[in-house]
Amino acid sequence: MKEKNWAILIGTIVLAAFIIPFTFLSSVEKWYGSMLFWPILTLIVIACNAILTKDWSNEE
Amino acid sequence: MNVSLIWWGLGIYFVISLFIAFLSRTGKQTNMGAYFLGDRKLGGFVSALSYSATTYSAFMLVGLAGLTYSGGVGALGFELIYLMGVSLIAFFGPRFWIVGKKYGYITPSQMIGNRYQSKAVAITIAISNCLFLIPYSAVQLAGVGYLLQGISNQQISFHTGVIIATVLAIIFAYIAGIRSVAWTDSLQSLFMIIGSTFVVLFLIHELGGFTVFVQKLETNHPELLTVPGNGFFSFLTFIGLTIPWFFFSISNPQVSQRLFMPASLKSMRHMLLGFMIFGFIYTFVSIFWGYSAFLLEPGLGNPDLATSVVLTSSAIPPVLGVIVMVGIIAAAVSTIDSILLTLSSMFAKDVYGNIKKESADRAQLKLGKIVIPIIAIMAYFFANLQLNLIAVLSVASSAGLIVVVPAIIGAFFWKKGTAIAVLASVIIPGIAVLIIELFQIKPFGLASGLWGLILSSLLFISVSLFTKAPKQKADEFIDYIQDNVYKKNLS
Repeated sequence: MKEKNWAILIGTIVLAAFIIPFTFLSSVEKWYGSMLFWPILTLIVIACNAILTKDWSNEE
Repeated sequence: MNVSLIWWGLGIYFVISLFIAFLSRTGKQTNMGAYFLGDRKLGGFVSALSYSATTYSAFMLVGLAGLTYSGGVGALGFELIYLMGVSLIAFFGPRFWIVGKKYGYITPSQMIGNRYQSKAVAITIAISNCLFLIPYSAVQLAGVGYLLQGISNQQISFHTGVIIATVLAIIFAYIAGIRSVAWTDSLQSLFMIIGSTFVVLFLIHELGGFTVFVQKLETNHPELLTVPGNGFFSFLTFIGLTIPWFFFSISNPQVSQRLFMPASLKSMRHMLLGFMIFGFIYTFVSIFWGYSAFLLEPGLGNPDLATSVVLTSSAIPPVLGVIVMVGIIAAAVSTIDSILLTLSSMFAKDVYGNIKKESADRAQLKLGKIVIPIIAIMAYFFANLQLNLIAVLSVASSAGLIVVVPAIIGAFFWKKGTAIAVLASVIIPGIAVLIIELFQIKPFGLASGLWGLILSSLLFISVSLFTKAPKQKADEFIDYIQDNVYKKNLS
């Protein structure tokens, strides 16, 4: 996947992190509401970073 | 807490750190690149831990726990969105790194000045960074003072605490420049995370285990599990807080300078991923810390006291309390020593190096070393003065540094950006942020950082369109990145 597409994907996830807790999850007063949603998104973003940088070389 | 126990804790921390600092001395540090960038040869593991220690100041276990105490889960969202923002390194990291090697950049402000072909740009950014980061360091020093004062029941004075933190930061920065900072940072980050994780496990155990802990929150304080929840995190407050921090990894020079240092892009990858995992765990620890304080003692007037409530609670054995106290001090010191080094390198390279014609590298290094304790002593005096203005500048630091972001993005992605546009987009919004913070106003409900970013983006783009860009340099700079990083490593 091209660098630009990764940027769009991560940007969309970040946007979701702003919007969804304040809309769909704003009345879910449980641990599986925002408290679970934000960490899941973060783990997805970390995975994106791992894949995106996997070919970074050893060259000095 | 027993004062002799505190002194023992501090003493052991000091001796181990000093030992590590001396171990880190390898080779001769006789030039700027060696002293401030570790010869661009830092390995991935040390880079990751040091990046973590530099980023996470005393704010996490004091301020973030306090935010959780006041507003609940919104604090988690704020900190995790910041962490997602560190993805910017995946895009900007290789670019900083490759041009850093090609042109021999020591500081981010030097890079921006050179890219826009303007000494005034380098000097302005260096000075504005100092303006916001020295007060930020002062508040960290004061934090150590208050912590020691509180935890020792006034037996160790505020001033003693501030002096201890200042001296430690100078020593760790001085022994071997970035090498001693990186190595002691690594040790300090381990102190921070291990100590605080143990405390949270203890607290959750004390409160009846994880399930009971969650049940207590769900039944008694459900508003702490949603945003806006109790109203503390309104949407505008949330974005006002979060957006400046989202850009932290490229706007704050003490961390963006780190992008010049890894030995290879592979080391940078380890730094990035290692930091993200560290940050993920540490964020949870700080959030649970805040929740525990709330469950143990709801109704504190000042939420920043949440930390001392936890540390002095009967659930925590005194020895563990001391370990965490050392962890918080380590968090503050490891942030300050990195800022000291970055600011002194900026002063030597960008201010002195540009004003005094033909200053040799050796002369700049000499000056940089003289400036380290001077900046530390300035921060010390600021911490002791306890002026309102210092607090204002410190709070404004993330908002004040964000104004450089359009110029940084432009440097790598927009050939039409100009030096005059950079000056306008740094100086005018910087002043606007200061005024907004000074008078505590929120025009149209937006916080200072949002105004800083909006104004600087508008000014950078519009002024660029009416002024002349350094076309030759822009082509050379951006094309070199395309040819060398993009094709080889980022396909």
